[in-house]
This record gives sequence, C-alpha cells and structure tokens, in this order.
Amino acid sequence: MAESSLPADLSDSPGLGRRILRLRRLAWRLLRWALLLIGAAIMLLPFLDMVLGALRTPAERLARPPVYWPRDPQWGNFVRVFDELPLLRWTLNSLGVTLAITFLQCLTSAMAGYALAKFPFRGRLAMFRFAVGAQMFPFFIFLIPWFFILRYFPLVGGNGLAGQGGSGFLGTYAALILPFAVSWYGIFLMRQFFLAIPDELLDAARMDGAGEFLIFGRIALPLVASGLATLAIFVFLYHWNEVLWTMTVTRTAPDLQTLPVGIYLLRGAFEEEATKSLQQAAICVSVLPVLVVFVALQRYYAASVTSGSVKG
Amino acid sequence: MRRLLSSKAAAPWLFLGPAILFALVFVLLPVGFAAYISLTDWDSLSPPRWVGLGNYRYLLTTDPVFLRTLWQTLLFALGALILGVPLALGLAFAFSRSRHQAAWRVAYTLPMVTNIVAIGFIFTFVFRQTDGALNRLLALFGLPGPGWLTDPSLTLLSATLVFVWMELGRNMLLFAAGLTSIDESYYEAAKLDGAGTWQLFRFVTLPLLRPTILFVVLTGFISGMSYFTLMLVLFPGTQGGPGRAALTTGQYMYQMAFEDLRMGRASAVSYVLFALVFVATLVQVRLLRRGGLEQT
Amino acid sequence: MTGRGTGLLGACAGLAIIAGGAFAQEARTITVATHYSAEQMAPLLACFDAYEAEHPGVTVEHQETAYGDFLQTILTSRVGGTAPDILNVYSVWVPQLAGAGALEPPPAEIAEFIQSGYSPATIGAATVDGQLWGIPTELSIYALVYNKALLEQAGYAEPPRTWAELREIAEKITRTNDQGNIDVGGYAYGTTVAEGVHPFYAQMFAAGVPPFSEDGRSTNLTSPEAIRILDEQAALFRDGVTSNAIAVDNFASGAVAMQVSANWNKSGWQDAFGDQFESTVGVAPIPTDGPGGTMLYSFLWAVDSTSDVKEDAWDLLRYLSEPREAGLSCTGEAMQGMGAFAGGNADLAAMTEGADAFDRAYIEEVTSGRAVTQPNVWQASEVDRILRGYIDMAWSGSMTAEEALTAADAEIQAILAEQP
Repeated sequence: MAESSLPADLSDSPGLGRRILRLRRLAWRLLRWALLLIGAAIMLLPFLDMVLGALRTPAERLARPPVYWPRDPQWGNFVRVFDELPLLRWTLNSLGVTLAITFLQCLTSAMAGYALAKFPFRGRLAMFRFAVGAQMFPFFIFLIPWFFILRYFPLVGGNGLAGQGGSGFLGTYAALILPFAVSWYGIFLMRQFFLAIPDELLDAARMDGAGEFLIFGRIALPLVASGLATLAIFVFLYHWNEVLWTMTVTRTAPDLQTLPVGIYLLRGAFEEEATKSLQQAAICVSVLPVLVVFVALQRYYAASVTSGSVKG
Repeated sequence: MRRLLSSKAAAPWLFLGPAILFALVFVLLPVGFAAYISLTDWDSLSPPRWVGLGNYRYLLTTDPVFLRTLWQTLLFALGALILGVPLALGLAFAFSRSRHQAAWRVAYTLPMVTNIVAIGFIFTFVFRQTDGALNRLLALFGLPGPGWLTDPSLTLLSATLVFVWMELGRNMLLFAAGLTSIDESYYEAAKLDGAGTWQLFRFVTLPLLRPTILFVVLTGFISGMSYFTLMLVLFPGTQGGPGRAALTTGQYMYQMAFEDLRMGRASAVSYVLFALVFVATLVQVRLLRRGGLEQT
Repeated sequence: MTGRGTGLLGACAGLAIIAGGAFAQEARTITVATHYSAEQMAPLLACFDAYEAEHPGVTVEHQETAYGDFLQTILTSRVGGTAPDILNVYSVWVPQLAGAGALEPPPAEIAEFIQSGYSPATIGAATVDGQLWGIPTELSIYALVYNKALLEQAGYAEPPRTWAELREIAEKITRTNDQGNIDVGGYAYGTTVAEGVHPFYAQMFAAGVPPFSEDGRSTNLTSPEAIRILDEQAALFRDGVTSNAIAVDNFASGAVAMQVSANWNKSGWQDAFGDQFESTVGVAPIPTDGPGGTMLYSFLWAVDSTSDVKEDAWDLLRYLSEPREAGLSCTGEAMQGMGAFAGGNADLAAMTEGADAFDRAYIEEVTSGRAVTQPNVWQASEVDRILRGYIDMAWSGSMTAEEALTAADAEIQAILAEQP
C-alpha cells in the first residue's frame, strides 16, 4: 500500500502536523517559484545580452579583454541602422506578405473546412484523409519543386505557354505568397470548429431560401469567428518568421526581402568586430514590432498555440 | 446556372475548389516532380539525364557525408526532445499552479515570436568563447569556458540547446493546457486510494496527458528532423560548423541544390529524409498510443 | 548649296528622330552584382552616376550580397532566370559558371583591351581552358601579417622565416585567461572556408608543391609536404598555441600576433589601428622550409549569358576599367579604397608609386614571381568546403593530418573526375 502524504504518527498532534504541512506547501511553492524564475531568466537574458551588445562603442568591442557593460551606451545605434539598412521597406514587405498569407489561409481553410464538416458528398472521406495526410509532407520536400514550378509557370512573368522565356512568378510577391495559400492544418482545424455548429441552423436558413454562399458567409462564418482569429494569429506569427523559402526566392530581388531575410543576407554588412554593435542594433529593431503585437495579444496567442493539441 | 452554383450538391465542390486546385499544383505536382528529378542527374540549366536509382545508391553507399548528416539530424531531433520535453513538463506543473500567469507566459513565449535569424544572431554572441555572456557567467563560478560554436564535439549540442530554448515556451503552454484539462476528481479519487505525489504523477497525470505528449513529441520530432535555418546563422561560412559536426541533412540538401546545383541528388536526399521521418512518426504513434488511447 | 543644307538638316532630323525613338523604346537597366558593401562601392557608384549621365536611357543598379552568400545567390538567380547583367566573380568560380553556360565570353575588342592592359598572371586567373571570361578586377595576395608590437614585447625584432621560428615566437606570445581560453594568440586562423583553406594552399605553394596538378584533374593533398603542413598546423592547436577561441578577426583588437592574410584587409586594420597602423602591422613572406611562394587570387567582371543588355554591359565594364585622367580607373579607385590591388597594368603602376610599406611587401610577392595564381579547379567552392571540413578534423585532433588529407583527397578526386 502506498505511503500517505501525511505520516500517521504526526496526525496525533494536529498543531505540529498542520505546521509541517504548511511548511511543506510553502517549500513546494518556493520551489515552483524558483523554477519558473530561473527558467524565465534563461529565456530573457539572451535578449538583454543583445541589447547590451547594441550599445557598446567600437573601442569597447576592440578592447582586450572586451568590455561587457557599456560605459557610454550608444543609443544612437538604433537610429543609425535605419539610415544604413532598408529596415522600413523590409518591415512593410513582411507585413504585406504575412497579411496576404494569413488572409488566404483563413479564407481557404474556412471554405474547405466548412465543406468537409457540413456537406455529405461522395469523396468527402477521401478529401478529409488527404488534408490530414498532406500535413505529413515536410516542407523541405517542396523546396526544390516549388522553385521550378514558380519559375516555369506558364504565361506568367514573360513565360510562354510551355513556361519558357521569362522568370515566371520569381521576383514577384506572388512567389512569396502563393505556395502558402492553403494550409492543410488550417482546414483540419476549421473543420473541427464547424462540426460544432448544429445542422438545424443551416437547414433552417435553407428553408428560408438562402443560397449556400450566403449561409456560409452570414451564418456559419460568424459562429466560428473566434476559431478563425485563433488560426489567424497562429498563421501570422509563423509566416512573419519564415526565412528559408523567402530567402531562396528573393536572393536577387532585394526589393521583396522581408525583415528576417534582409537581416540574414546583410550579415556581411557589419562583419568587422568594430561594427558588430550596429548588427546587434539591427537585430533588436527587427525583433521589436512583433514583440509589441505579441505582448498585447499574448492571451489569444496562447490559445492559438494550444488549440492544435486539445482539438486534435 | 446561378441555381446550380448555389445548389447544395455543387456547393461543397465550390468551397473545396481553391484547396483542390492548390493541392494539384503545389502538392501533387511537386511530389511527383521531386520523385522524377531524384532519378536524374540535373544541374537545372541543361536537360536532366536519367540515372535510375543512381542518386540513391550514391547517397547510401558512396557518399561519405550523407549518413553522418542523417545521424546528426537524428541526434539533434531526439536530443531536443529528451532535454526539452521533461523540462517543459516540469515548468508546466509550476506554471499551471502559479499566479501571474500572464507575466510568465510573456517571458516564456518571447523566443517563439522572435524570428529565427535574430535568435541565431543572439546566440552567436551569447556563445562566443572568450567574451560571450555564457562563458562569462561560467567564469563567475570558476568553470571552464568551452568553444560552444567552434569545438566540433559541442556544436551539435549548442544548436540543440538553442532549439530547446526556442521551443520551451510552446511546449510548456501545451502541457499546461493539458494539465488544466485533467479533472480534479481523478486526483481526489487517487488520493483516497492513498496515492503519493509520485504515484499521482505516474498513474493519473501521465496517462491523461498522453495525447498532449504525443502531440508535442510528434510535432517536435518532425520539425527537428527538417530543421536547419538556425544552423545557417550559427555557423556562417563553414556549413554546419567546424568539421561539419552540426551539418544536418536538410542543410546538406539545400547546399547541394542551390550551391552545387545537384538538383537530382538533392531531391533524392529529401525523399530519403522524408521516408525516415514518415517511418519514425508511425513508430512513435504506435508506441505512444499503446495503452488504450484510441481517441481521435 | 541650300539643297545640300536642307538635305543635311533633314538627315540630322531623321537621325535625331531615330535616335530619340531608340532612346524612348530602350530604357535599359544594367544590374551589377558584387559582394562589396555600399561603403566599398562608393567610387564605383559615383562612376555609375557619371556613366548614366553620359548615356541617357541607361540605368545602372548595384546589387550587394555578402561574400558568403554570393555564389549561391548568383547560381540561384541563374536557375530562377533573374540573373543580374554584370557579375563580379571570384576567379575559381569561373569553371563552374562557364561550364553551366552562365557567362558570356567577352567580344573581340574587349578581349583585346584585356590582352594589352593586364599582366599574363592576372589574365591567367580569368582564363579557363584557354578561354578568357572577363576583365580582372581585384587582385589579392596572401602573406604573413604580424603585429610588430606583440613580437617586440616577446623579444623578437624580425618576423619568422621558417615554421619552427613561427611556432617558437607564437608560443611565447600566447596568453590565456582564467578559463584557459586564449586572450592574446601567437597565431590565428579563421572560421570561414577561405580562412582555413587559403592559408593552407598558400603554405603549400611556399613549400613548392601546388595543391592541384597543372591540368586540375588530381591533387597533391596527400604529398608529404601537405601532410607535414597540416600536421604542424594541428600541433599549434594541440599545444594550445592557437585555438578556435581566437580568430583572424581579432587581429584588429591587437589580440593576434601572426596570421596568413590577404591584403584587402588593409582598410579595416587602418580603421582599427589609426596612426599606429604603420608601426604595428608588418607583412612578411610566408614562413617555410621550402623554396618560398604564396597564392594570389583575383576577381573579374563578367557578363551573364542571359543578359539582354550585353553590349551595354561590356561598354560599362570597359568604362569602369579604363585609366582616367586622375590616374586610377573606377575599379582601381574602389580597390585602393579597400586596400586591394587592381588587375590593370596602369592601375598597378599608379598604385605602386604611392605604395606604403604594407603595399610594397605584398607587391613584392607578385613582382618577385613568388605568388602563384590559385588554380581554377572544377566545382572549386565545393572542393574548398570539403577540404575545410577535413582541416577542422585535423585541428580538433579527431583525425591525424594524414587521415584527414587522405579522406579529403578521395572526396575531392571524385568531384574532379566529374569534369568533362
């Protein structure tokens, strides 16, 4: 038999037992608190290190041994990087591309999820299975083919009917957006939300003579608004930070580069130790906008993170 | 016509239309294209040359690096799980019972919303050998300061640690959500049976948390196996760090394709890696589902 | 008389209309891709503006990519059909680019311009299998760079001439901190592929054994000299004289006593040392027991074969490479700003005239005939990457020098065997 949490001999003297119990609880609480605090420090200190780095003078960097705490903080570095790098352009690109992807994914996910949840039709199971199965394909398998499909897309960007002649979608914003227009995970998630809507509600609208698109837009969609918001936040943050694909298709199109890609490809700009403070300042600036949004929306964000596991 | 378009029979297909079109162009076509290309020798500038299974044979028998990258990738993905999952679970316990959850949540999820390039850069500075923050901290305790990004025996571990750091907040939130969804009554009942803390954890929490664990382990494994953006930033120029000790299969493939223009062989790499991820995922699902958790 | 006059006028008007029409329909943009930063590019950007002013309708755009990403960027853009018109390419990339049909051979008059204005060694770096592929630009040479102050503090007035001397001096200078990490290093290597591989090649040339055979189909990496060089390098790591904690980047901090580096680092060190530059930075031939020698490499202006403004591109390149009244060509001025040498004879002569001790030591390597052009081998970037990986293995002690070079040789031979 398992040992009880309260030893038997102590329960004779209730005062002492209760005190030990209280002490024990206090110890647990302290332990939990310490664990969380140490963890939080590990999470935050690297960010602090970056800010300190951005503030050092070139002399402090070149000193031997190098200085850690900046004595003459170079706040001006945060302004200087705006003169030296097209940070604003990158931010606008990031914002535009990410919003477009978010909008498209929400739209296509809602439409497809609705069809899979609310219509009995031949092939529904196959479609559903495909949506689940397509999630299994890792991104890297698409990397090379996507590149060439966009490159040789017929009748686009100077291409002929056979896809030759121009550069297709490459060098346009479409190359950054199109491959992410549909999310299989999003479809799966939205289907779950639509399943919760009673069929009677939709049938009643049909009785009233409403068309299918009207029912979808006016009745079904508003009912899953919170689910849609969850998906939107998730998609937005994911694609805001996407690097690999964007880098691959915008290497020679600097005008299309997004914030993380621009920062990555310009690592050569502040290569020398004396100028590394500017590099770190640029990184600080690149992190800031999404941090602000995130702190404001963190409650919703937490919900969007956990939605996948609980619903799935 | 309008009638037909808005009829209940046609509607689902119209709703599904964009997704089906997308599936054809951006899923089925690429998967087939990659499979075909993997059977050829193609530099993408001249027409592909058919080589049958030559690329696969080369990778699995001749290539001195490919199998090593697979092993390193596996170490990275599994290492991140072994270090990260228990840590996230412990933190989730503490988190789910603490006050000021909003503040903790901000601290722990900050890395998740920070772009990966910035994270990579942040840690190239933290990990510097002579003047990085980490080694300065270790020096305070009189500990040695290893070359986190320059010592071939440490580079993979360093990359893994950064990955754990990045994913910790997400996993903690997932586990915390799983924990709060467990009904108190299970614990009450177990306590009445005289279960201690460990037993409560072992026989109540763990089984009930299994779906969440499955989710965390699976998604973590899949993303770990195909991950390399971080390494691109952490080890600039040297392609996977000194001695290629932190070269993962994904990065190996990317280099092969876009630097050495070996599209055929690179496609073969992606297929081998995909097969591996697929099989490993199936195995994990089997292992973790065992024990009566057939809820879908 | 009047008739002829009106005829002439008419012809002029006709020409003007044709010319105007041509301008109107041909607003051409020439994209120039380099790995130079805006600061390094400044003289060239000024020349772009001047060229635009002289050639209405032509716009010249600069595209900057970090050196580490440069080859990948131009290859990806080639594959994607979005290639720039003019590329500033590293000479060893030429075989791969030319082999893939990415480069346009220079027209006859440009080839003539190059033949008459550049030295044979420089032209050799821009030539593969007898075909010239562009106009040489940056010329970089490897030599031993040392910190005079650090050597003097250790009691040495002269730089080392042999590797044994180098080792002895380096050992005296290396200082470690409490954690055992090197604070001031007697000798340093770098973290990039080039920073590991180029000093190794340079040492091989100094030992009298080129890393690759003349025809580029085999290597000398398993020669006794190569093994000895790598073993001696590894010994520096083994015995704590150098380590990965210290790198060539730290030279500017006065934390590195000696390293094998190229001359283009000059401007960075000038910034770092200020008026102490002359009295601090010394340059010497690469220490060796062999006959002596080093490696030089070059960049060249090349034109993409898919460009639709090839004629304009070559015209612009000629404009950038021709000596001007002030002395240096546009390219030469940009190179001088960086502390690098330009390839043209006229530029080189002008640079030698105003050279300081630093420059003279490097130029001496070329004029003495010690510097050998880096061979343009097949898939050079892949070959170098492989070699760097194995050099790391030897440095870290996980392989002996012989094991590492034997493995590297096997892998590299397999690649060299692929060439047509």
